[in-house]
Amino acid sequence: MPRKILIIDDEDDIREVAALSLESIAGWEVVTASSGAQGLARAIEHRPDAILLDVMMPGMDGPTTFRELRKNPATDKIPVLLLTAKVQSSDQRRFADLGVESVLFKPFDPLTLADQISAVLGWN
Amino acid sequence: MTSTPQPAGSAASNLAAALDQLWTRFLPEIRNRVDLLDAAATACAANKLSTEQRDAAQAAAHKLAGTLGTFSLDRGTDLAREFELALASEDTPCLAVANRLAELAAELRSIVDSRKDGASPVARADSEMV
Repeated sequence: MPRKILIIDDEDDIREVAALSLESIAGWEVVTASSGAQGLARAIEHRPDAILLDVMMPGMDGPTTFRELRKNPATDKIPVLLLTAKVQSSDQRRFADLGVESVLFKPFDPLTLADQISAVLGWN
Repeated sequence: MTSTPQPAGSAASNLAAALDQLWTRFLPEIRNRVDLLDAAATACAANKLSTEQRDAAQAAAHKLAGTLGTFSLDRGTDLAREFELALASEDTPCLAVANRLAELAAELRSIVDSRKDGASPVARADSEMV
């Protein structure tokens, strides 16, 4: 069974490149959502093996979405990796303190994104 | 357990081609973001940058920083990040950075316009393997 990943990002280009990368390089099944609210619903519906979650989104941002995922017994065990273009160390510390599995940075390399996720989650 | 296959042969080539197609599809949006930076730089030089325009330009620069490197335009990511940070401090007078913002926007436009199909990292990796 291929891994199933949920990508939550409001930016169409990033969402589609990440999906393309994970599908074509790793052969994973990818589900996408363009907002935090939609992401919560998709997570409950699809029960992915991991979630790639954008930080800066209008409405429900990444940290808020993460906290909602953790409140729900249906999604509270799903590993979450934050995806952010923020590079300032104060931001990085703040994100790491949330309790996510890892923080990945934009821009990412489409060739190695799956390897990065696998390494963090011990899937290799 | 699912192992991650190494990109090779047709899978890598297909990814490169698909990335180029995505670039073409999203190019209008990417250009719109550069337009926002241009407009903000112009407004800054005239000391007429509104809070809304500053926020919009910062958001556009942030998105460009995240996107361009993914399409192997690493220099574009650096420039967009510099633009975002230049607008981040409201204590910095706009006029003080106006010239630099204009330079950054101009170079970003040039980089975006110059990206050719086949510039994806996959295509580069393929050519390096030959």
